[in-house]
Amino acid sequence: MERRTFIQGLAAMGAMGALPLSLSQAFAATVANPVSVEDLPKLKGALTLYLGRGEGGLYEDVLKAIEKRNPDLKLAIRRGPTAALANTIVAEAKAGIRRSDLFWAVDSGAIGLVSDAGLAQPMPSDLAAQLQPQFRYKDWAPVTGRVRTLPFNTARLTKEQIPTSIMDIADSDLSIGWAPAYSSFQSFVTAMRLLEGDDKTVKWLKKTKQRAKTYAGELGVVMAVERGEVDIGFANHYYTLRLKSGKPDAKLDLAFTEQDAGCLVNASGILALNPDPLATNFMRYLLSTQVQSYLAQEAYEIPLVNGVAQPEGLPSLAAISPPKIDLTQLADLRPTIDLMRNSGVL
Amino acid sequence: MNALFKSATTLGVSLLLVSTFVTQPAYANGPIGEHVNHLQANIKDYSEEVEWMVAKVDTLVSNYETKGAKAVNSDDLIEYWESVKFHSAIETNYVPVYASIWQSLYGIKMAIDNNKPASEVRAQQTALNAALWQGLGAVKLAAKFQQKGVLDAVKTTATENMTQSATVDEIKHKLDRVVAKYAERLSDEATSIVHDTYLHLFEGIEGTLIEQDANLVEVLEKDFNVTLPKAISDNKTVDQVRDVITDMQTKLDRAKALIEKAEKTRKDVF
Repeated sequence: MERRTFIQGLAAMGAMGALPLSLSQAFAATVANPVSVEDLPKLKGALTLYLGRGEGGLYEDVLKAIEKRNPDLKLAIRRGPTAALANTIVAEAKAGIRRSDLFWAVDSGAIGLVSDAGLAQPMPSDLAAQLQPQFRYKDWAPVTGRVRTLPFNTARLTKEQIPTSIMDIADSDLSIGWAPAYSSFQSFVTAMRLLEGDDKTVKWLKKTKQRAKTYAGELGVVMAVERGEVDIGFANHYYTLRLKSGKPDAKLDLAFTEQDAGCLVNASGILALNPDPLATNFMRYLLSTQVQSYLAQEAYEIPLVNGVAQPEGLPSLAAISPPKIDLTQLADLRPTIDLMRNSGVL
Repeated sequence: MNALFKSATTLGVSLLLVSTFVTQPAYANGPIGEHVNHLQANIKDYSEEVEWMVAKVDTLVSNYETKGAKAVNSDDLIEYWESVKFHSAIETNYVPVYASIWQSLYGIKMAIDNNKPASEVRAQQTALNAALWQGLGAVKLAAKFQQKGVLDAVKTTATENMTQSATVDEIKHKLDRVVAKYAERLSDEATSIVHDTYLHLFEGIEGTLIEQDANLVEVLEKDFNVTLPKAISDNKTVDQVRDVITDMQTKLDRAKALIEKAEKTRKDVF
């Protein structure tokens, strides 16, 4: 938790001096509220963005829209797996070069890797203030969130029959679907390690494994729950919402545990590697009302700014009680992989 | 040769797609040479190599026919094929034919190793020759595209933006590579391509697709995670594995149409 910085208000008015008056007024008037793209400064100049792959092209739509809106922006994009790009940024820094001005990653673990290397520029406080308090960090901005859920088959169970503690699920008689090879599952186990310790996590994995059926991906898990192959599953929220969107009569609903790794809210995030205000101004577009709404509606991701509607079918963040955890600590996957292998899960 | 160009349009499209998304310059039999980016300059060499290959195989089969299995070393067939530059020219430009070449080579080899009648070996040889000539035709066509500047150089990194519908084409191409690697007797590599294609490509489109047709996603999920890996691990014939993949590609065509429809109706960001 030591790297999490809670920013209580607009402290850096000096930084805002560089912004157009209308934007400054918008910030001053709407602390912690998202800013419309209409009020954002035009982007002029060249930026190189390292983009971790994800969300099946919807991030690309956002980037194209930003470019279209800012014809004087020359945006070069390098795409690749998120973890590989994070390693590249660190390696480039060790070699004394910086090729990237921005890094947009699909998971916060990769962000943590770059942040821990001391390469990320500080977040302007007015920008951080737009995020909900639990998602304010000193040198990166979560863009959208995803919550770990327990999809369950409504023909076989009621919500009340599902334990509200992730640790208790290991002792239940429920059949379970999981995808241990999936990166989101591994982040969830990492969170469990950090919150409960390695010993309890190993016991949980071993017990759960006895009643778990393995799938390649988490959409597969959710579909198996819907078919009734298993009672419940472990999966990010959007798979269930999307399946229900395509199959409204699906026998499927979401349950949540409380204040443990089972309802971890993880996030995609962006950080600036270049102190040029152009880089941080680019970040403002991702937290704008329009981009947050687009990703919520099209990708079913959770907006992390105030005033933007949640994806349909998901309870509000206030109704979920995720654990308090520094998301950037999820970067260290190696002990988790070792632990999962030693438990016979991988 | 007329048959070679029967499907020129389809082949042309495939060539373009392959060239756009080829991202793995190192193949099972070593790195590809720079010559694949200069096809026209190497067409004469490729043609000579195909003629040489056809003659060498014919000599080997004739020896088998007249002197028996002990008179030949069937492993030479693989060495002939791996020694020619044309090998990587076809692998980087038209994977389905590349798979057929491997399939026929092993068809000849297995027939010899199992002391099958010469007529069976000759049947496999005929299939090999057809595949080789078809491959040469495909490379010639690719050379024309390359000369016109519409065939991108083989790239070493995947840096291009891919729409979801383009991702479907890439998935289909990867599945062609699965057949090629399976025909090459590289089952582990074939399985690995299946898994990587599922995790890195199919997963990226299935969110959109499931909103359009949940049942289609369900059957493709099963194909990727059960049917195809099982066909490979059960050592089914190349034709049987190809049938599974052709069926998946047909489903993916439907997926592409649905995704294109979804892309057209998607709201603007701003």
